[in-house]
Amino acid sequence: MKVSALQDNFAKGLSVVGRAVPARSTLPQASHVKIETDEGRLKLVATDLMIATTCWIGAQVEEDGAVTVPARLLTDFITSLPSDRIELSVPARGRQLHIQCARNEATMSGMDAADFPPVPAVADGLALTLDPKTLRKAISQVQFAAASDDTRPVLTGVHTLAEGRELTLAAADGFRLAVHTLQLKQDVPEKVEVIIPARALREIERLITDESEEVEMAINGARSQVMFKLPDVEVVATLIQGTFPNYGQLIPQSYATRTIIEMRQFLQETRIAAIFARDGAGIVRVQLEPGEGENAGKMTVSARAEEIGEHRGDIDVKIEGDASKIAFNSRYLQDVLQALDDVSEVALETTSPSSPGVIRPIGNDRYVHVVMPMFVQW
Amino acid sequence: MQRVIIHADLDAFYASVEQLDDPELRGKPVVVGGSPEGRGVVMAASYEARRFGIRSAMPMSRALRLCRNAVRVPPRFDRYVDVSREVMAIFRDVTPLVAPMSLDEAFLDTTEQMDGFDGPEALGRHLKEEVRKRTGLVLSVGIAANKLVAKIASDTGKPDGLVVVPPGTEAAFLAPLKVRALWGVGPKTEAVLHAAGFHTIGQLATAGPSHLERNLGSRGPWLYDMAHGIDDSSVSTDHERKSVGAENTFPRDLTDGPELRAELDRIAESVARRLEKSGFRARTIVLKLRYANFRTITRQSSRPLPIDGVSDISSAANALLDAAAKLGDRFRLIGIHATNLLPDEPDQIGLWAPTTGPERQTSVEPPGASR
Repeated sequence: MKVSALQDNFAKGLSVVGRAVPARSTLPQASHVKIETDEGRLKLVATDLMIATTCWIGAQVEEDGAVTVPARLLTDFITSLPSDRIELSVPARGRQLHIQCARNEATMSGMDAADFPPVPAVADGLALTLDPKTLRKAISQVQFAAASDDTRPVLTGVHTLAEGRELTLAAADGFRLAVHTLQLKQDVPEKVEVIIPARALREIERLITDESEEVEMAINGARSQVMFKLPDVEVVATLIQGTFPNYGQLIPQSYATRTIIEMRQFLQETRIAAIFARDGAGIVRVQLEPGEGENAGKMTVSARAEEIGEHRGDIDVKIEGDASKIAFNSRYLQDVLQALDDVSEVALETTSPSSPGVIRPIGNDRYVHVVMPMFVQW
Repeated sequence: MQRVIIHADLDAFYASVEQLDDPELRGKPVVVGGSPEGRGVVMAASYEARRFGIRSAMPMSRALRLCRNAVRVPPRFDRYVDVSREVMAIFRDVTPLVAPMSLDEAFLDTTEQMDGFDGPEALGRHLKEEVRKRTGLVLSVGIAANKLVAKIASDTGKPDGLVVVPPGTEAAFLAPLKVRALWGVGPKTEAVLHAAGFHTIGQLATAGPSHLERNLGSRGPWLYDMAHGIDDSSVSTDHERKSVGAENTFPRDLTDGPELRAELDRIAESVARRLEKSGFRARTIVLKLRYANFRTITRQSSRPLPIDGVSDISSAANALLDAAAKLGDRFRLIGIHATNLLPDEPDQIGLWAPTTGPERQTSVEPPGASR
């Protein structure tokens, strides 16, 4: 192999694939990155065997070839080099990568590229074209609700349903549920239902830039792999097998109190309360009192910590229905409100202190969030 | 800042208290524990008794065979608790950061107290003298920059030890010791380590982390840190309970059947009661089984939501027993431990409430009702 590429491009490519490199792995190849010439460009691949990221960068290829080298070493080295042209070479049948840039020269012991875990091909299934910004928004509003511990593996994933002209993403960790529905450009030929690891979607969210044009999503016929294709980047992830709980029934169909709140104020008061809630198991208490006029409702957000102190803050809100109170984990409230950073108002729908709270952005029926309350003594 | 951590451990605690209270017993091989007829085990042995090979946890019948002149004394826990309190009070005179690990051992963080002493060794001597003066007991002391090394230091010095491992010499101190000396390395891990060619901590320390991980799996990184004397854990004075459990050794071995299942339910009840008292709920239920031949296994299952009701604990334990028990197995002991504890209050209500169990549900139903 004999290739040259610009240091900037190479470093950027390594940062794209770098997150797929596992911190620890039983398979030594997995801590490597594969470098391969591919039709006049340089292809970089990293995988933790669940998620594989491939990135192409511009290069001048003099002689085709491939090699794998330790990802950490290569990344640390390349990112430290001056912004200049980098010459890479591997002798025929060799495994030593030789790197030259300006007046720096290095060799790295690699492994045979043929031993690198193959990236599965994703074909013969569903293929969709998605608007990158809409997808990024949908992921950001759903992924945080996925479970972080794998007591129930399906809950570490995002349930993804393509049906008709809609793609619905849903995640639930046992205490909250987030559902976002995306409009597709055309009908899907058949209903497809899979569970995508939340980790893979977070990777996509990170990789989509404001310049990204289109994202292609493909799910193979066997429903075992998903691929996201961005310009010059492909992410292939192994789908989580299992049955996702039927979450539709978890979304309450009615409410006793509907409160319309200015999002920024709600988030700010929640953050303030969280400072006190930190020492009180994260409990934020929300009290809702309707007033005489339409806009005269008051919402009180409070938190207290035994032997430390307490805080309460009031917000003017619009309340429809009865006075009520409910307590939530401050983390859960902050997570959902932060994800709604592009809306000006949200509706909080409640029924009783022990029934689910529903948060919906006003003027957008594509998103719904259900958060279970905490059981407290008032 | 360089920490100064002390592991303080009373030598042959129960037996020493007995010898202290009854001058007749001094200088004699004393074993504390239940009667040999009732399948009692040795809870403590005086150093005189240890010379005959008597060890803690050994069946009493065997201990008395090893040394016919041994004097068996039934345990008096109330007395041990009183003495232990006195000793812990001596520790607290030196530093507020005292974490008792059991009645006879504690970790002390004396980082802030060093100004009052002429070095760690002087502090160690002070503790030993105070304990001897005020209780008559012998204390072994290990001093190092972390809990791991301090504990090993006090173990190596026993009896009547005072071992100081200066910062920076941890690896050299640990190197000649057997791997078994490491915290958490029991007979099973020891066997795995021996099979992989590691006999001393030094051998373990020279192996690279990736080599350890290949040979020892997920325990690799943990063992690597330990072999290098690395331990960041703090001396915590809160009562952070790690588990709540109950077990029972039967007067005769039981096979799986109504009698054993009734015993299991009784233990589940006792665990539920203890959990309730502790103010915790558990995410993991561990079933412990000791077979007639003393082989002991544990099996565990975890729940997404913590549980504390009798029926949840009992059904989890029964399911584990279903999976573990084979026809003809005879059990000597059975136990249930609830681990992975979370504070009981407040209650985060789950999306799928039924996993919290029927007891929990009824308490969730009436809005605002207090428990």
